[in-house]
Amino acid sequence: MSPRHLLHWRGVLLRRALQIVALLLIIGSASFLMVRSLPGDMAMRVAASRYGYDFVGQAAAGAVSQALQLQRPLWQAWLDWFSDLLRLDLGESLVSGEPVWHEIAHHLGASIDLAVVTLLLAVLIGLPLGIAAAWRPGGLADRFMLLFAVTLRATPAFLLGILLMLLLAVHWGVLPAAHDDQGGTLWLPALTLALGLAAGLARISCSALREALASPACEFARSKGLTDLQVLIRHAFRLAALPVLAYLGVHLVLLVEGTVVVESLFAWPGLGHALVHAVFARDVPVIQGAALSLGLVFILFNLLLDTLMLAIDPRQRKPGASDA
Amino acid sequence: MSQDMLLQAQDIGVHAGAQTLLRELSFSLRAGEVLTILGESGAGKSLLADALMGNLAPGLTATGEVSVRGTRSAASDTRARRALWGHQIGLLPQEPTLALNAVRRVGPQLEEVLRLVRKLPPGEAAGQCATRLSEAGLDAAAAQYPWQLSGGMAQRVVATMALAGGASLLIADEPTKGLDTHWRDHVTDMLRRVAAAGGAVLLITHDLRVAGALGGRMMVLRGGELIESGTTADVLAAPREAYTRELIAADPAHWPVRAAPVTGMPVLRARGLAKRFGERRLFAGLNLDLHAGERLVVQGPSGTGKSTLGNVLLGLLKADAGEVIRAPGLAATALQKLYQDPVASFAPSRSLLGSLQDAARLHGEAWSAVEARLAGLKLDACLLARRPHQVSGGELQRIALARVLCARPALLFADEPTSRLDPISQRQALQLLGDAMDETGAALLLVTHDEDIARVFGQRLQRFTGEGITT
Amino acid sequence: MPDQQTSPFIHRTGFGLLLLVGAFALAGPALVGVDPAAQSLGDSLLPPDARHWLGTDVFGRSVLARLAQAAQRSLGLALLAALSAALPGVLAGVCASWCGGRIERALVMLADACMAVPGLLLVMLFAAMAPGHYWALYAGLALSLWVEYFRMARAASRPVLHGDAVQASRLLGFGRRYILRHHVLPALAPLLATLLPLSVAQAVLALAALGFIGVGLQPPTAELGVMMIEFFPFYSEAPWLIAAPVTLLVFLVLGMMLLAGNKEHT
Repeated sequence: MSPRHLLHWRGVLLRRALQIVALLLIIGSASFLMVRSLPGDMAMRVAASRYGYDFVGQAAAGAVSQALQLQRPLWQAWLDWFSDLLRLDLGESLVSGEPVWHEIAHHLGASIDLAVVTLLLAVLIGLPLGIAAAWRPGGLADRFMLLFAVTLRATPAFLLGILLMLLLAVHWGVLPAAHDDQGGTLWLPALTLALGLAAGLARISCSALREALASPACEFARSKGLTDLQVLIRHAFRLAALPVLAYLGVHLVLLVEGTVVVESLFAWPGLGHALVHAVFARDVPVIQGAALSLGLVFILFNLLLDTLMLAIDPRQRKPGASDA
Repeated sequence: MSQDMLLQAQDIGVHAGAQTLLRELSFSLRAGEVLTILGESGAGKSLLADALMGNLAPGLTATGEVSVRGTRSAASDTRARRALWGHQIGLLPQEPTLALNAVRRVGPQLEEVLRLVRKLPPGEAAGQCATRLSEAGLDAAAAQYPWQLSGGMAQRVVATMALAGGASLLIADEPTKGLDTHWRDHVTDMLRRVAAAGGAVLLITHDLRVAGALGGRMMVLRGGELIESGTTADVLAAPREAYTRELIAADPAHWPVRAAPVTGMPVLRARGLAKRFGERRLFAGLNLDLHAGERLVVQGPSGTGKSTLGNVLLGLLKADAGEVIRAPGLAATALQKLYQDPVASFAPSRSLLGSLQDAARLHGEAWSAVEARLAGLKLDACLLARRPHQVSGGELQRIALARVLCARPALLFADEPTSRLDPISQRQALQLLGDAMDETGAALLLVTHDEDIARVFGQRLQRFTGEGITT
Repeated sequence: MPDQQTSPFIHRTGFGLLLLVGAFALAGPALVGVDPAAQSLGDSLLPPDARHWLGTDVFGRSVLARLAQAAQRSLGLALLAALSAALPGVLAGVCASWCGGRIERALVMLADACMAVPGLLLVMLFAAMAPGHYWALYAGLALSLWVEYFRMARAASRPVLHGDAVQASRLLGFGRRYILRHHVLPALAPLLATLLPLSVAQAVLALAALGFIGVGLQPPTAELGVMMIEFFPFYSEAPWLIAAPVTLLVFLVLGMMLLAGNKEHT
């Protein structure tokens, strides 16, 4: 690896590392403020959520208050909060009393399953459609893609989810809806998320491919004597891959946001679902843990895309490539 | 039909609906021959190339018949011609660095032609690939990416690829556009070698020097019509048509040497200027005095720091060392610049009238004076209602000149102002630029890569060679 | 990218849809003339009739009146959030590419930091800090939307500011105001015209999604997402109920997207 190559890698890693620090700061501070601004006597609430309102005595509340160290000055509490965070000590759930790590680990696995299946489905639906539309402009695939993209872009994930649930699960009985054995229930939320992503992917891969096919590089490849198919496979795909990856990078955020909504809708036991539940219950340690994990997964996915783009495009390893 | 007849074009024409863009013309090319199509932009040269390739833009139709090595097809039969691409007809692209796929290495891009077009077995293709690259002096290029090649290397790489499929007819569409003398000679040389090796070259150009150097036969096009043809040497030596004579006269090599202007007080002095670009030293220890009325031409190949020097003198770039001293009492706006691409030097969404009026108002110049100047620059006032991209390059460069003159410059830095213009408008623009400088007594710093322009236009010459500077 | 021009027809359709929804949101509550909060348990789940054009919900409240109020709320909050994200975002973006150097790097770092948290998550955190409060949703939305304006403004103004046209104007002696007015603004305007409706749509969707999963505005407030979840259980016996907020939302989002044109922004 050349020193320049390393330099570029350092830039990418630095940017994502900065984002991780920012993530910690933003979510940590928000959670801290949430704890301090809980309405009523928080100790009482926490005690109530643990033992039920009938059993909350002054003594129990006092014990909780002591455990949570609620009586200290603000700045000291903030520092303590962050030193805990930096030691990766997320504390215990106010509701279940279980360590937050414990809960998160379980939900994280479910969320990643969902994300991976979603991405696979989106790629399997979106890319072939986009390629077919680019291959024959104005053809059947092209027109279908336009309809598909416009319709899905105006349909929010939760509506699409309801529609799919009603159609596929309730009316046709093709797929099981929520509250079923796990393997089966994955398909509906994954399809809901994937359709939206696939619509965007089809559009961007179509326009990127069309642009690549019209580029001087592909024109020259044709004049060298290659057939249209050879040009597509050997030249256009690689040229078009970059804008497609860049699009995925920007729209990854939709996947994360969609996860929160769709998991809640289908009661999929992932991080988003846990987060929404924790917000209901004002279970701040779990809010913090779930939001942090979601954010981390998001940043790591981004890092993966950075890596792919660096691997595909040797120009990006050139200094000053962004100005070229 | 004889074996060495490579191309026969019969009554080739191009039409857009009822409109004729290229009037029918016929010609033939034998092995070892070069045919040059000469004309300005809009003459229909590229349409002819596209019609032969069967690659016209949608909406355009070709008429006539093309026969390549005895295989006949109608000019409108694009599919028949497509089958010949690479195998029989090679196309030399205009900008070689863009024509190569930037995300793949050079070697595989050549090897795929040998394997998929020539149908060589993989092992032999790899061997041939290495041989061909080393024959072209490109041993190291196989493992490189296109953007790592120099312009000349890229030019050789695309030529090797264009012929790798077995083509013996090479169509070269403006292969020297924007190249300086050095690379131009390089391309000429390469095309000559193709013909010498038994191929045929169809060269499309507006550059008389390339045409002259290649020899062979020539056809002159204007407005989609053939106006003159013959051997290149005859046409260049004794043109029969007035337009051909005008074209030849517009070649800087044939310009009369411009009279030296009256020079006056110093405008700008530079002492000990030095500038690096990355690891490369562009210039160091450069001393320069510019006087009012003077015409200093800075000439040299591209990438040697000519424009950088101008930008440093104008204060647009900081020198690494040394200083630029302006004459006392010089207004802040007394140093002005003309750009290589005039379109990029205007606000795209503002009408030319608006841009000119803004400049006139800012510098307290009466609009009638601007109008008089526009007339002097042979500009029609109705052009001003348009946006920058809606007028021709030559017109826009003259409007840009009218705009900078509003600021009453003491020094005008013209950065390759005519390198993108057709020869006739180039000549007109430079003549008017020289006249304006004589009239206002401003100093001119002209940067160009063209040796002939430097010779006929410059009063003083500063040459950049890449290694150092000679005065 | 091959420039795909949006046909004026598509543009006008989008504008027309938005005009309809906007008029309904502005004038609706007054025209309907029924208190959207007035309960009447005897009139529960009435089908559409002359008095209640869209029927009543389970508490006997007029759905039309509630829908008008919800439209007003969603559109108002989303517009406010998008506009207050656009102004500082664009200013910071132009400032970054104008100043360059340390200021640009600092601003880019700030934007990167904000992008570390997915937008909806940020809004949710704010909503969790002050449940059911408008200001929390507004602040969360504005904070998550400004980055896109910043990136757009920086990317679009950089080539302009470093280009020949601005250099020529500076050499001619034109000042900062002229350059912003005649060089930067014309380059930004068409992009802004695309981004603004898209981010309003994004904000409307985020509000509805949060209401739908129960962490946005809280019942009994009339809000599109909240109404959907309220009406969902009755989708087979009273399908007009769920259809009302869904149609409104789709009109609103579709209108914004048509107005933005079919340019893909990446």
